[in-house]
Amino acid sequence: MKNPQRSPTNPGSVRSRFTQVFLQSLLRIRKHSPASSSSSSSLGEFLKRCHRVKVAAYVSMARAAGTRRAWSRAMLWRVRHDAHRHRLLQGRCSRSSSRERSPGKKKRRTKKKKKRRDDQEHGFGNAEKLQKLVPGGEAMDFSCLLDETAHYIKCLVTQVKVMRSIADFYSL
Amino acid sequence: MEGSSTPLTQNSSTFAIGIHPNDQLPSCFLVAGWEDALDRGDPFESALSSMVSSPVAPPLAAGEGDDAVMIRELIGRLGSICDSGQTSPGSYNNSAANTSCYNTPLNSPPKLSLSMADQHVRGGGGGGGFPAPGCHFPGHPPFVPVMADPGFAHRAARFSSFGARNVNVANLNSGLGLNASEFPGKQGNMLDSGRFCRVPSSRSLKANDGSQICVQGNDRIFLQSGISASTPENGEMGDSREGSSISDQVAHGEMHARGQIDVNSRKRKSIPKGKARESVASPQSAKDSEVATENEEQMTKKIKPAEADGNEKDTVNGDQKQSKESSKPPEPPKDYIHVRARRGQATDSHSLAERVRREKISQKMKALQDLVPGCNKVTGKAMMLDEIINYVQSLQRQVEFLSMKMATLNPRMDFNLEAFLSKDILHPRGPLPDSLYPVDSSGSMSYGYEPRQGLMPMLSVVSSNMDTQFPADLLNSGIHRNASLNLPVMDNYGEAPAPGQALWEDDLQSVVQMGLGQNESHRIEQGTRIYEFDADRAFIYHN
Repeated sequence: MKNPQRSPTNPGSVRSRFTQVFLQSLLRIRKHSPASSSSSSSLGEFLKRCHRVKVAAYVSMARAAGTRRAWSRAMLWRVRHDAHRHRLLQGRCSRSSSRERSPGKKKRRTKKKKKRRDDQEHGFGNAEKLQKLVPGGEAMDFSCLLDETAHYIKCLVTQVKVMRSIADFYSL
Repeated sequence: MEGSSTPLTQNSSTFAIGIHPNDQLPSCFLVAGWEDALDRGDPFESALSSMVSSPVAPPLAAGEGDDAVMIRELIGRLGSICDSGQTSPGSYNNSAANTSCYNTPLNSPPKLSLSMADQHVRGGGGGGGFPAPGCHFPGHPPFVPVMADPGFAHRAARFSSFGARNVNVANLNSGLGLNASEFPGKQGNMLDSGRFCRVPSSRSLKANDGSQICVQGNDRIFLQSGISASTPENGEMGDSREGSSISDQVAHGEMHARGQIDVNSRKRKSIPKGKARESVASPQSAKDSEVATENEEQMTKKIKPAEADGNEKDTVNGDQKQSKESSKPPEPPKDYIHVRARRGQATDSHSLAERVRREKISQKMKALQDLVPGCNKVTGKAMMLDEIINYVQSLQRQVEFLSMKMATLNPRMDFNLEAFLSKDILHPRGPLPDSLYPVDSSGSMSYGYEPRQGLMPMLSVVSSNMDTQFPADLLNSGIHRNASLNLPVMDNYGEAPAPGQALWEDDLQSVVQMGLGQNESHRIEQGTRIYEFDADRAFIYHN
């Protein structure tokens, strides 16, 4: 049985692309991780690695999905932006970092207010929630949001499947 | 025909357009409006149309079978008006080129038509809110060119028979006979607003709808009468050239819900020759009831001259129109999105757009319903959105857990496994052989069962998704090797930070509940065995 229930976005191609990119990223992470694998796994390191793996998973998924989709573009942008901001925060002193954070928070608050105002009909609060969940969903109207959600769900399902299989094999 | 002219003079204000084009200036028609209109040159058609529009209604209403008679009466009326009350065909012939069509019909009793015209004009003027008809026309230069347009009547006929058929003036002209027959009986039915925007091509049966559409449920008596009056007249006056162009124009103008507002604005500004009619016509078909009031007022004004024009010319092309109408199927305008207003629903352009949007959203929700498991039972958009949100959250959480798992497993990765994995993942195999489940995994289970509890549901899912084949010989060899495999695995697990592991198990179980669903829970037991199988296979392959 070769997965006859393929979703219309041809998850086969998405899946293959995702696995390739993701495995490459995993390898890279493994190389960057400390040499002594099993012994020196402190919590911090572990969490860092978790985060890296997660980011790698999302980035590879976004790349596999292509830039035609708004959510993939938004996700890639967000990752780059967060990484950049992270570097800035690390590189600068705490004061500057705090300054950076506060305007960002303010922006987020205004964004939230705008989101509430711009809620479309059917499912006002739910649309807002969905916008938060789907990357790049804030700047979309309801119908576009539904489209992006559909594609995002398909890609997420593929991602979960692949990661599970990888973890399965690796965890032996 | 002075007797007829007197009533005419009384109502001459309505005919202020100036019927008689060039040749004569009948004294009986000396009214301010008349003269001005006459000075403009070629007000004949407009005057005729105005006259014809209203007067036609009653005679049309009288008898459906008397189409031809009514048409002829109208034409006669027009002729009489034009020719200073004279019914001599010669006068008509002397007038503009469009008199040719008047030859026969215009010879019909003009006096009657005139008197009828008077009544109708009054009624029409009152009903249509025709402001200061006498002074109106002179004050509306744009009317003149419009009225002078030979296709004017066609356009008027167009939107009068708008709902009835595909707007094709030429067809209208040809089908004038049908029009006349159709409309008289429809005047009473013109208030049905719940008809389709699109003008069906079939003339006869759908004239009702068309006329109703024109009215859009609004009580525009004048418009109705004007429409009904105009159609037979316009039908007769068909100028084939104009008709075809107008039909195209009107077809375009017909049905766009969005274009209505533009159309209305267009109407107000000026009355370009062809466009004015279209704009007038389009509101009829469109669902903008609010704008329709304004439109109708303007339309009435325009209809009159158009009808006058149409009446002048239309006799000859009646047959042509019929044939054309029957042959041509309705062509939906291609510029606009077609929206069909259902019965009883608002025909506002905004509401139409809203409806389109709502339908699109409902389609997308249905597509999402297929994606999200367990959404079939849920009905309603809010509930579905909740389900979708939950599903997306669960998927994201699964990704997170899997990434954590991989973070722990990362050190153990090697290239061989990677290649193997990619091969497995990319080429899913056949269904899981359930026959292999009964493999005795008690020994292996005793080793690493606990740490694997959280993983087992996931693994079971993975294995169910991943088509793996387990050759029977692997069972025995695998079991023996499980001990060696399990210990390092356990060690790995043991080395994992306690909080992480605890997190794993808790989260994984929650994941199991959410993401796996009921179908997967029964596989937990199998998952252990499958787990062993996978371990064995990986071990065998890569060692």
